[in-house]
Amino acid sequence: MSGPGVGIGWRPALARFVEELPGLVDSGFSEVIAESLHHPHPALLELRDRGARIVPHGVRLSLGGADPVEPERVAHLAGCAELLGAPLVSEHVAFVRAGGMEVGHLLPVPRTREALDALVRNVRLTTAELGVPLAVEPIAAFFDWPEDEYAEGDFLTELLDRTGALLLLDVANVYANARNRGQDPLKVLESFPLDRIAYCHVAGGSEHDGYYHDTHTHALRQEVLALVTEAEARSTAEARLGYLLERDGRYPPAAELRAELDAIADAAGLARVT
Amino acid sequence: MSTDAGSLAAESAGMESPDAGSADTESLAAGSPGAGSLAERQEALVRALVAGGPLPEGFDGARVGAAGRALRNKRFGEVTGTWPQLLPYGELFRAWARDRPPQGSWRDGWDFARAHRCSLDAEALTALAVCEARWRYGDEPRLRRGPVVRRVPGGAVLGFWSRVVVFRPRR
Repeated sequence: MSGPGVGIGWRPALARFVEELPGLVDSGFSEVIAESLHHPHPALLELRDRGARIVPHGVRLSLGGADPVEPERVAHLAGCAELLGAPLVSEHVAFVRAGGMEVGHLLPVPRTREALDALVRNVRLTTAELGVPLAVEPIAAFFDWPEDEYAEGDFLTELLDRTGALLLLDVANVYANARNRGQDPLKVLESFPLDRIAYCHVAGGSEHDGYYHDTHTHALRQEVLALVTEAEARSTAEARLGYLLERDGRYPPAAELRAELDAIADAAGLARVT
Repeated sequence: MSTDAGSLAAESAGMESPDAGSADTESLAAGSPGAGSLAERQEALVRALVAGGPLPEGFDGARVGAAGRALRNKRFGEVTGTWPQLLPYGELFRAWARDRPPQGSWRDGWDFARAHRCSLDAEALTALAVCEARWRYGDEPRLRRGPVVRRVPGGAVLGFWSRVVVFRPRR
């Protein structure tokens, strides 16, 4: 049960697929959208009862918002961790609402001192209520803020240093952002606090409208798998969970998904779960 | 071409924002990029992305425009998950959604369908009638209690105490 492995994000449409992965419970792990746990799916609880490591992954806490995080949302995350016996909880370095309006998606925060202070406050408000560690995930974004004062890696490092939070590194987001900003993905990866990795996301995407979109509905790219290899070679955190495939629609045949999980395992040099 | 081709800056150029001239807008327009508090800046960006607001000072209009289009595409995907009958109306929906902040896929689909009764086909109109035979429209929709009849193309929808039946004599 210890040491990094390979996993896949649990979705109702993938319940059967995940249930039938032979190595998921022993060497792998899973993750579930925390906001979907108000009415937990029986198959997910069954997976928990078989001893699977399952991370609640929040998408609507708005840690990067100017306003303090809402206590009910924090309490829900804490409840999810308890329900699943989770080793940790994860959320995003992002905001999802402002001025009473919901965005319905994750937006990047300005990398300024003021935004960093707001993030630090919100991460602290959250971790104070959690019984387990919190990992935060940098997002994919098409644009940056004009007032940015920090490079992304420095901003993250300071956030983690000030809060003690861990890093959920989305390798596909690193690829997407670097590509859309015309940067070298490997250099961006190396600028992140890789010693703080709790686990990594991997996902497919596609080119559209002049940008690379981190869609979670397309096949994995070789370039992203190559970045998995580079990330694993540079990861030093002892208690990492490993690499988790995110798939959120246009589900391919099971054999294709298994092949993607194997490709991730091979790229990272970890045991296959299929 | 008209809906998704232009940048956000171009899209909002012809629109009178209801906020034009407000303190927020003035302070943003007058100052350097980043003028205004974090809360004000975040609100201005969200307004630009989901409420038809102007592009805040200093942002790359093409990039923010692409993000806005991606948001509306994602939103339409979620709406058609709840209202599959609206699948043929992607272009209309994305244009409509431009200045309407998301309220969840069920409510978004309902509001969109109500605003486009004249453009919807029989299947979408029936889905709307079924919804409205069960729910009373309002800020906080409530389940209907009394009986209700709604005509739809080729038939009628009957609701009684939130049970709904679709009658189509010829099908």
